[in-house]
Amino acid sequence: MLTRLWRPATSRRPETAAELFGQADRLRRAGRYAEASQLVLRGLSVDPASITGHLLSAYLHVARRTVEPAKREFRWVLAREASHPRALLGLARLALEEGDLDAGREALVRALRAYPEFPEAQALLDGLAARRPTSPSAVPPRLDRLRLPVAARGLVVCGRDGVVLDARPATAAPGGQRVARAVTLAAAVLRRAGFGPLRRGIIEDTGEACFLRADTTLTLALALPRTTHITQGLLEVNRLWAAAQHELAIAKDEALEAPVPASTRRVS
Amino acid sequence: MSRLRLGLEMDGSSRGRQVRDIVHGLRSLHGVRGALLVAPDGFVIAADVPPNVAVEPLAALAATLGRDLEVGASKLGGGAFQTALFSADDGTLYLAASRIGFVVTLADPQANFQAIRGALEEAVTLIDSGWSPATPAGTAI
Repeated sequence: MLTRLWRPATSRRPETAAELFGQADRLRRAGRYAEASQLVLRGLSVDPASITGHLLSAYLHVARRTVEPAKREFRWVLAREASHPRALLGLARLALEEGDLDAGREALVRALRAYPEFPEAQALLDGLAARRPTSPSAVPPRLDRLRLPVAARGLVVCGRDGVVLDARPATAAPGGQRVARAVTLAAAVLRRAGFGPLRRGIIEDTGEACFLRADTTLTLALALPRTTHITQGLLEVNRLWAAAQHELAIAKDEALEAPVPASTRRVS
Repeated sequence: MSRLRLGLEMDGSSRGRQVRDIVHGLRSLHGVRGALLVAPDGFVIAADVPPNVAVEPLAALAATLGRDLEVGASKLGGGAFQTALFSADDGTLYLAASRIGFVVTLADPQANFQAIRGALEEAVTLIDSGWSPATPAGTAI
């Protein structure tokens, strides 16, 4: 009798890979990434060729911000299923993170070709909509005349196409390209939320606060110490925004008066 | 009227309740139209957004933006990304980085900036304390 009572516990069948992946997905949905990862590892040891397992593994790497292993897992899936839309979306997002817009766009287009009703991929592709290239201005605006506040850590001004028009110090130019991309993505989120075009922004990290002004033609970002009062930061960026608009207007007027081609003063 | 969307299993787990409470808490602030918690891979962990907003595309974009800001901050040698707000004529987007993803809030233009900022910081603190890693990152898959 005792044997009969104990049998269910002792003869419990081993967990299948599908069960392990199911449990892992539930944990992932609760933000319990480390525990989910352990279950996926166990699942993959049972079924190493599982596309579900490798896809979950990729998601969990992304969730834990480990990029290279995530890429490997997405590529593993795509090597077996070349048009897997979720793997393509995952790779596209990683490409965007790394600033490779062309690779990101290409992966999104492939995902949408395979699965046209894919709202996440479509939203990202819309968010990447190419900015209209700006033709080089005949008279470049004298943005060097903008007076920065004493405490400023840096300034970046980008044109409509995301090209950096002015960066101070000059080494801040790569940061300008990132700012331009963040502004493009933020504008896409605002459009999705039905809020209209982006006007202002504040990005804070542990050391700095970056105050932004933007419209469809210009983005201006001013980095100040994190301790700067918000009102002060907004006042400073508004002042610089007005001054930049003034310089742009002057350059436009000068271009109309003397339409002689001149090299554009661009940092990058 | 808002709709409640939960990516969490409704298993009554304490963490699940905690996430729902955090999202509800943000949503209940004066002037806040919606709130969501999005994993870095774009997966919606919990959301309470207006019915006219498609949550998955919004989450995909918000997570991409969040990661862009995180990676940008680290590549430029600055500190770790913490919070961002982006405002338009008809509303403001707030985004904060947490251990398990990004806390996103959609608010009216007139909403109290300091109140929402404070609530976001509190939400991130709650998440980060409740989701401390069980194993060091990188040891598993």
